[in-house]
Amino acid sequence: MRTIIMNCEVCQLKELEVEHFEIREVLRCILHTIVFHRALGLVRPKDVDLELFEITYVQCGDVEVEKKIDEKIDHFISWVEKHPNKKSQICLSFYEVKSKQPSWFTNKTERLYWEQWYLNLNVTQHPKSHLGKSHHSKVVIDPGDSGASEERSSRRAAVEASLREVLFQIIKFVNEKKDHVPPISEGVIYFPYEITIPSSSDSAFGMDMIKRMLQTGHPTMLS
Amino acid sequence: MASSHSSSHTEAAKMEQVITEFFYKGVLIILESRSPYVSSRNYSGEQTVSSPSSSSSSSSSVRPRDKWFNLALRECPSALESLDLCRQSNFETVVVDVILEQKPLDWEPVTFSPKRDLVRNLSSKDKNSFCWNFDQEESGSETKSEKIIERWLVQHESRKGRDCSSGSRRSSSNNLSTLYKKSILLLRSLYVTVRLLPAYKIFRDLNSSGQIRAIKLVPRVSSFVEPFTRKEEAEMQRFWFTPVDTSCGRLSLSVLYRSSISDISSESSTPMSPQFIPDYVGSPLADPLRRFPSLPVSHGSPSSLPFSRRHSWSYDHYKASPPLVSFSPSPTHSESRASVSNPSSRCLPPMSLSPHPPETLLAHRKNTNYDEYCPSPNFSASPSPSPSPPIHIPGSHLSKALLRSESAPVNIPAPRLATSPALSCKQNLPPSPPLKVTKAGTSKDNIGPVQTGATIEKLFSFGKEDYRKYSGVKLSSNSSPRISFSRSSSRSLQDDFDDSEFPCPFDVEDDDMTDPGSRPESYDRRGHLSDPHETGLFMNRKSQDAAVGALVRMLKKAPLRQDVSSSINFSEASRPEMWSNSVQEQNQILEAVTVEHATSSSIASSRLVASKTTSDALEELRGYRELKNLLLSEGGRSYTSANYASEAEHSSRGS
Repeated sequence: MRTIIMNCEVCQLKELEVEHFEIREVLRCILHTIVFHRALGLVRPKDVDLELFEITYVQCGDVEVEKKIDEKIDHFISWVEKHPNKKSQICLSFYEVKSKQPSWFTNKTERLYWEQWYLNLNVTQHPKSHLGKSHHSKVVIDPGDSGASEERSSRRAAVEASLREVLFQIIKFVNEKKDHVPPISEGVIYFPYEITIPSSSDSAFGMDMIKRMLQTGHPTMLS
Repeated sequence: MASSHSSSHTEAAKMEQVITEFFYKGVLIILESRSPYVSSRNYSGEQTVSSPSSSSSSSSSVRPRDKWFNLALRECPSALESLDLCRQSNFETVVVDVILEQKPLDWEPVTFSPKRDLVRNLSSKDKNSFCWNFDQEESGSETKSEKIIERWLVQHESRKGRDCSSGSRRSSSNNLSTLYKKSILLLRSLYVTVRLLPAYKIFRDLNSSGQIRAIKLVPRVSSFVEPFTRKEEAEMQRFWFTPVDTSCGRLSLSVLYRSSISDISSESSTPMSPQFIPDYVGSPLADPLRRFPSLPVSHGSPSSLPFSRRHSWSYDHYKASPPLVSFSPSPTHSESRASVSNPSSRCLPPMSLSPHPPETLLAHRKNTNYDEYCPSPNFSASPSPSPSPPIHIPGSHLSKALLRSESAPVNIPAPRLATSPALSCKQNLPPSPPLKVTKAGTSKDNIGPVQTGATIEKLFSFGKEDYRKYSGVKLSSNSSPRISFSRSSSRSLQDDFDDSEFPCPFDVEDDDMTDPGSRPESYDRRGHLSDPHETGLFMNRKSQDAAVGALVRMLKKAPLRQDVSSSINFSEASRPEMWSNSVQEQNQILEAVTVEHATSSSIASSRLVASKTTSDALEELRGYRELKNLLLSEGGRSYTSANYASEAEHSSRGS
């Protein structure tokens, strides 16, 4: 599979500082919002209220999309757990599949990337992050420590504001850049996309494997 | 030139339509997210619940207007009216003001005032503006305060001094698709934006809480921009969506919004009388799972394209795939499997299993040939626990087919059935198992078996109610003593339905073909639509079949074997006691299908046109009875099926 990155619009989204327990909601919100803007087939939008923030985002209502995004988020979260206190980037790329003249040693299709969104997350290790494990409680109140809860709620408001900002960034980008979006094909709900998370691009495992293969020459590669 | 001119004309018309629809959709998106209680938040989950009639067809789930800009929204009547307003404004400007009304806490709910009062109050400066109010229930309180918290502006800014229709004709088609794509993008971002603005929080709170708030959101559509004061304007922020160029102008969308309204809404939240609480029942917030009630999570075949998914918003998709299991005419393993093997129904649960009430079946089969399966032989598979051989009325060719088997079951020929339209078409068919009926129905093949089934159904006047009854009977028959005769190869029905993987119908056919020798009579017999009841019995009891087969052969050679009335009388008069038990029992239960048994002469003869006189038949019958008595006496009381068969063979030869 050849990949071509030409005339590819890139959007670097503002970095979000989130806690571990917020990763899932924040990523869902951002990824679905982007995909909804790239789901130009007939959709019946689905509103989703975030549990942690006063934000409603929109899904395109496709179960496959939801599944794929959730899976990627799972992978990302497990990557984050292995690599704490690290800034991380998730890339959502839209491409077109172009069939090519078949020839030796080449695949018949190639991907033409026309848009890439970079989500930048800074997962902080909050001292009380274990409290936040209770995912589904909107308000985590520590009655004994009003100062801490105040700080917590103000921090949450800050995260919410910056998430909102990122969402508006997406909307603005979608509004300003329309010419590069490929024509809509009949019956296709959303443009093909892929989500790249750190573990799949430059994880220790993957890089090690490539290095090892380069060094030793994997026997199966010769056959 | 003329053609290009006209094509440019149609392009212009299309362009105009896109613009019109853009206005409508844009206004609808705004209204839908600002008019509490009628929004999509309430709506999407209630769709099928609130409108059962419309949910029955997939077309209703995707309305024509939904296809515009590929954005399916709820139909909003008030927005339709706003479309008229758009028209009046000549698609130049539509203003949607979102007004936050704050009522004093001691407001009196019953003081209604004409809507015009409000309109006049709000837009008294300009008499010409056709303001238009959405509020349904207006409290005439003078003390309420109103604040415009959002002003949406949908505009088509025409380029002056340029002929729209002829402008940029060169690439007009390209323009049109580009315009459409860009307006889709614009409306997508509008859809997201209306949910991110502060006013949406108020809307959400109003919608989701069970409280009567002292505030109200009132969207107001007009074609006139009532200017804000400088102070007001200073309090507001503006968001411009990037305009989309059209051939003669550009579509623009912008919003002025108050960024600090959340404090207003939260302050004035007051629990009040519960009288309006029912309005909130059914809010998707209470039951988020119902928002998307029919996502084909597990049912959709993996290959189904996204496009087909939208059809699954209604349950039509499932209806279209008939759950045929319960209509399987034969209790044998292979046939049961065959009947569920319609690819589209593969994922459906076996419908005849008890966990699925028959009502479900009926509901699912509205648009398919349900009735045609009704006479499926299952029911007769055994109301009676007696091991007696059932009676069979085949078509004549089928009887021949039976003769190939040394153990053919008893055939009481019913040629008149064969000459009836129902069975005559069977003549063209191979002696295929009854499952063919099912298959034919599944493939929407309306010739042959299906018609046969249909006609038989008419003959038997078999109601759905009856079927329900019999399907139950059939299942219970598995525990009847006769099952002890089963070959090892025939599994119980329950086993069959436990199979998650059902082969396609043709697999089953192959299966049958590869194994014809081991159960020839079952193969043959399943070709008879009209002998449903004994399929289960016969294929499992070869020795008895042999006896019956001998009888059939004997009768086949009889001169009047094709006469129904004679056969009826014959069976009435001379059937062995052993049979009558089961037959009568069956008659009791299966009154409607007694034609098949040929034992209920009254029904059969009344339904079928007799070709010979009764006396003729009686004459013949007497002869048969004598023969029969001879047979029985020779066979003795303790005859086994085997020697019964040989005796029958012998005596038939003798005759």
